[in-house]
Amino acid sequence: MTWIACELHTHTLHSDGRQTLRELAEGAVKLGFGAIALTDHNTMSGLDGKEEIEREFGLTIIPGMEWTTFYGHMVTIGMSEFADWRQAGRSDIDRGIAEVHRLGGIAGLAHPFRIGSPACTGCFWEYEVGDWNAVDYIEVWSGTFPSIQTDNRRAFKLWTAKLNEGYRIAAVSGRDWHAQEDTDEPISVTYLEIEDRSGEAEEEAGASGDQEAGTEAEASLREARLIRALGQGRACVTIGPLLTMTLEAGGKTWPVGSAVPAALPGTGGTVPETNEAVRVKLSLDFTVRSGLWSLPGQMFRLKLCSNLGEEVNLDLPFAGNRPVEHEHEHEHEEDASSLWFEREAELPGSDTAAPRIWLRAELWGTVRGAYTRIAFTNAVYFDSEKEGGGSR
Amino acid sequence: MELLDLQGSAVPEQSRTHIRIPFELQANVDRLQIRLEYAPKILEDREAALNLLQESYELYILPEQREQAIARADRHLPLKNLITLSLDDPNGYRGACHRHDPVQELFLSRESASPGLMSGELEAGAWIATLSLHCIVTPTCDYRLRIQAAEKEGSA
Repeated sequence: MTWIACELHTHTLHSDGRQTLRELAEGAVKLGFGAIALTDHNTMSGLDGKEEIEREFGLTIIPGMEWTTFYGHMVTIGMSEFADWRQAGRSDIDRGIAEVHRLGGIAGLAHPFRIGSPACTGCFWEYEVGDWNAVDYIEVWSGTFPSIQTDNRRAFKLWTAKLNEGYRIAAVSGRDWHAQEDTDEPISVTYLEIEDRSGEAEEEAGASGDQEAGTEAEASLREARLIRALGQGRACVTIGPLLTMTLEAGGKTWPVGSAVPAALPGTGGTVPETNEAVRVKLSLDFTVRSGLWSLPGQMFRLKLCSNLGEEVNLDLPFAGNRPVEHEHEHEHEEDASSLWFEREAELPGSDTAAPRIWLRAELWGTVRGAYTRIAFTNAVYFDSEKEGGGSR
Repeated sequence: MELLDLQGSAVPEQSRTHIRIPFELQANVDRLQIRLEYAPKILEDREAALNLLQESYELYILPEQREQAIARADRHLPLKNLITLSLDDPNGYRGACHRHDPVQELFLSRESASPGLMSGELEAGAWIATLSLHCIVTPTCDYRLRIQAAEKEGSA
């Protein structure tokens, strides 16, 4: 599995951006991105010629469109064709989302708490969502240095509230990138986890021996994998190091976005002891986008959060863009080019009366004088016994 | 050949509505030329603008932060009208031009199109231009939409 650095919200001259797709792609590669989603307002015409630009820059460009409507902006990606944004009334966005799904796409709320009309037309999410199960993701961090902004904090809270209600919704960042302008503010990255190249594409094209067809099939497979990863919540968001989390339960590993069944595999299908501890493996990779971000030395804090609250707090000394040796840390390599470490934590089993239904990890620290979230993972979910063991 | 020359005046109450303007395209059209203009773009009346902003802060900003938002209201000024154009041919969507320019000269042909619009066959039949009135902040906003068709050379 590989984590791909993605920028999921971008614009070009085809809407109100001040950049061509080529300029955007060049800028994205310079910032260490492996994929972007082009989400121009209400048009997909900017995707014309994307294959050539993808090849030139070695960047995946996911087709998308930002529904720029009167009652909210909705980022949609992966559609085979256009879904009509003009029909959505305040109470029937569900129909719009269903149409995006029908066309093979997924949909997310863009900057849901940004001020609305007349300052920013339609920017505040005012749609009444009928079924939150249909919402694939929420852009909880919008813009640069997003974590300190009030509207993003409200979006993050909305996400947490929906997780607490039992919905399984992914959370991402999106710069809403309109122009190639330098910024010294921290840039947020959404990492999506996809399977490594498996040679499927070569096999597909192999019969004809057509190398170009193979490359193109590879590109479209990668695109499909990224969209699937986002839809499933295999996503981690950060302005610095890549924070990832997996759970160990029932002899299996559960990545973010997955659901641990109530009846764990390997236990003969029986319900495990409710007080069985959950082992959580946290990884921090400081080598990602090396040289493209920096954080001051300090004591970081790692948190494990769930619907039960902040369950675990771990201190983590950090010497400024590199981790400090610590007796409980397990440094895999001494090599300075491979700065990453793992940490394990145990969570108590939860009570049947108040079961744990989701869990995520967060990294907190001081950035530009503000104590704030630096990174967070998407959630791992726990099926309840009532759901009969859920998603296997 | 002029296909359409439509003028109108929008008022704030029409914010968040679409105006659908059907027009008929004959066979053998080579190129569509579209001009959208509207004016004024900006609400110059500062007091009116601050009142509108203050009303919107009631909706969009948490009570404890409203006072601070009002003190910093200048960051949201000037307030602007926004009308955007999208286009449908007899088979479906042909793109949108979601940008702030109050005068837009656009074109569409088989080979190319203005950014936002999708090039391709200009099929004869019922087309629709849609004006989306995202926000009208001035007491009135005059708009004009002109569409002209150029026929293929040598066609009868």
